[in-house]
Amino acid sequence: MAMLSALLRYMLVDEQQREARLYDLAVDLSAGDYPPLTDALVRQSRGRGLLRLPVPANVAADRHRRRLCVEDLAAAAAPDPDWLAQAVLLKRDILDAMVVDLRERMAYRANDLWIEEKDGRYVLTAVDVSFRAIIRRVSRGRIGDAPPRLLHDWRTTEFLRGDPLAAEAGRDYHRLIGRLPAGEIANLADALPYLHAAELLMLLPDAKAADTLESMMPERQLQVFEELADSRARRLLSLMRPDIVADLLGRLEKDEARYWLEHMPALQYGRVLALLRYPEDTAGGIMTNDLIALPAGVQAGAALGELRRKLGTPDFINFIHIVYVVDNPSDRRLQGVLSLRDLLVADEGKPLEEIMDPYVVALQPNEPAVKAARSVIENGLPALPVLGEAGELVGAVTVDAALTFATPAGWGRRQAPRLFS
Amino acid sequence: MTTEGPAPGVDPINQVEQSALPARPRPIHPSLVMRVRGRPVLLRGMRAQPTGIWRWLAILGPGLVAGAVGNDAGGIATYSQAGAQFGYELLWVIVLITVSLAVVQEMSARLGAATGRGLLELIRERFGVGWALLAVAVVFIANFGLVIGEFAGIGAATELFGVSKYLAVPVAAVIIGFLIVRGGYGQIEKVFMVMAAVFLAYPLAAILSHPNLGQVARGAFVPHVQPDAAYLAVLVGLIGTTISPYQQVFQQSAVVEKGVARKRYGPERWDTYVGMAFSNLVSAFIIIAAAATLHATGNTHIDTAADAAKALQPVAGSAAMALFAVGLLGASLMAAGVLPIATAFSVAEAFGLPKGVSLSLRRAPAFFTLFLVVLGLGAALSLIPNLPVFQFLVGVQILNGVLLPVILVFMLLLINDGKLMGNLKNSRVYNVLGWVTTVLISLAVGFLLLQQALGLFGVKLLGGG
Repeated sequence: MAMLSALLRYMLVDEQQREARLYDLAVDLSAGDYPPLTDALVRQSRGRGLLRLPVPANVAADRHRRRLCVEDLAAAAAPDPDWLAQAVLLKRDILDAMVVDLRERMAYRANDLWIEEKDGRYVLTAVDVSFRAIIRRVSRGRIGDAPPRLLHDWRTTEFLRGDPLAAEAGRDYHRLIGRLPAGEIANLADALPYLHAAELLMLLPDAKAADTLESMMPERQLQVFEELADSRARRLLSLMRPDIVADLLGRLEKDEARYWLEHMPALQYGRVLALLRYPEDTAGGIMTNDLIALPAGVQAGAALGELRRKLGTPDFINFIHIVYVVDNPSDRRLQGVLSLRDLLVADEGKPLEEIMDPYVVALQPNEPAVKAARSVIENGLPALPVLGEAGELVGAVTVDAALTFATPAGWGRRQAPRLFS
Repeated sequence: MTTEGPAPGVDPINQVEQSALPARPRPIHPSLVMRVRGRPVLLRGMRAQPTGIWRWLAILGPGLVAGAVGNDAGGIATYSQAGAQFGYELLWVIVLITVSLAVVQEMSARLGAATGRGLLELIRERFGVGWALLAVAVVFIANFGLVIGEFAGIGAATELFGVSKYLAVPVAAVIIGFLIVRGGYGQIEKVFMVMAAVFLAYPLAAILSHPNLGQVARGAFVPHVQPDAAYLAVLVGLIGTTISPYQQVFQQSAVVEKGVARKRYGPERWDTYVGMAFSNLVSAFIIIAAAATLHATGNTHIDTAADAAKALQPVAGSAAMALFAVGLLGASLMAAGVLPIATAFSVAEAFGLPKGVSLSLRRAPAFFTLFLVVLGLGAALSLIPNLPVFQFLVGVQILNGVLLPVILVFMLLLINDGKLMGNLKNSRVYNVLGWVTTVLISLAVGFLLLQQALGLFGVKLLGGG
């Protein structure tokens, strides 16, 4: 029907021929894919403050004379400040905001908004991100008023205000972003300004947020982490991989790091602390210790049962491709390894020590990280175990950690070369 | 840590070679002992913060480097011209402007850290697309002029080596364009930086030229404004080259790119201050060197690079020409490499258009078009025959000075927005300094423009030409 920029130049006229200037429009984001118009903010001709007038979504519009026909302008009243703070206004909140197109996985600015009639109601259907929209707005519709070619469907769009607290306060947003894989969301977060990235993270459920935070580039991870509310930060820290938590805490000031360590659940605390003992450029510094270690005497069937149980807990294990077989849970001396595949195809009654491979290539925690990383990659295995002095299992360097460490700096996932710094 | 033979079950054939391991772990840094949950723990995985002098050097390092190589062709030209034409009379501008520069640059950095967005993007968000267009136009015009100037500088430098500018400039433009788009510019930039570091010879030249210290002190600490049109013009040029609009946008984007978080902004501040102080120190030395060598011998007009090179004679003697040419070439190449792409980036950011050298021309058409236009047209225009290179360079800096107040006003308005800045909002002191700077610069610019306008009608406000 019309672009928002054109619509905002309309007048409101009621049955008694009274007039008011249209200032802004409120929409209801929770009502389906395309949010319908709910209210108009108007300015009376006499120059008083803004007034709120509920308008039906099927308000009559006269395109030619640029008018919206309403019943009674006298019904307009000063808006309740709470309502004003909570409402989503097209011009104030969505126009010029950052929008994320979930299909294309890219971030744009909403240069203009397209409002259309669907099922007898006026709804927000699309976003115009072209430069033409800028020209249209600046020239007040004289240039570029033809129906736009390139629009982003509102159904697959998330808009961001750049205010992480807005999402936290439970405002009405799409939560479609949660459907993308964590790596893609992390890509998006790296491309957005960091406050928008923090807001994006707030829109995700805890588990996905933890995965996304894990996949972000280190600087962005730190920036976003510092914007999170305390309670959320604590929850995320307990859900993230311990080696990544150790990396993150390692970059904080001592006192900050101590605060987060003290507020972690005991199991995660133990794991992270164990990892923080090693300098970052050693095998200990890049390994993870969130592993499956089972005693040698356990039978395959029971082992699978134990695995299922562990995966069901909130502190779920992240690295499951290799099962480490130890002598007993307290000493944890490594006896052998077996892959998940071996475990799944084995006879239920067979003890692990008969299925495992007793010859293991192992790393030492104080080895230089580059050397350890190269060994892991060259071995072609998902991970190599790291053994302490007495041969006890202290962790494993997984191939993804090794790759992150071993690839040259210029090979990052998102190759945005630095222009300014 | 010594090993007692392979651990049980470890295949002796496949075991990783152990002899290369360190005998014991590295010594523990004392600050890495923490008390957590009532127990002391040793945490070597924590980034050891450098202490004492190393901490300061780590912070100051980048600032010093940026300051030392921050003088581009336009800067060299303007400072040389100021020294040659007016001796030490304009030194006080540099002294006063150091405070202003530090304040303004720090505000840019703070805006970047607090918002995580570039200046033009913020203007668009807060003031709307109309004002954003104005800001974009200002930055674009200023930068475009600078790019032409940089290529003119490249041409002038290569001509000192006997290579025609009609060959050197297109080749330089093509190579730069290719490197930026294909990657690899980062490594080459280091070479340019080394070349530009030659200009650190200026302080040496200033000292070796035995300037009259009394005159230097008077020029530096006694402000006096000569009622002379040329004086006013060069004054505005000095302002424009020291606090150029490009630098504000650039500084903010650099801080955003570095990924400085709001809560960690403190050390960044000192980096900025030191960098700016050092850069201005070098600028002051350029003026002194030019004054002592050129002004003193009556060469009050710099028309070619050869003239400007004479200021380096106290250091290099007959090699002054070559030394100057190397420095000019390096500095100009660096700036010519960064300015076009930075301009395209900032403009695209303002309008929310896709941007980034990793994208293709099809996905980011506006961005690449802007880049190629600024680069290509800038290089082409610099080849205009009989272009008076040094006067053009100074003229561009004057233009920058004229456009500066627009950017400063936007910045001051943004940085006082509590909702945007949070606890990094401007303090009263900063506001006073910032607004005083803006008002004074605007007055100077206004006076200059008025004088030029009236001059068209034959009315002369000030003496001189």
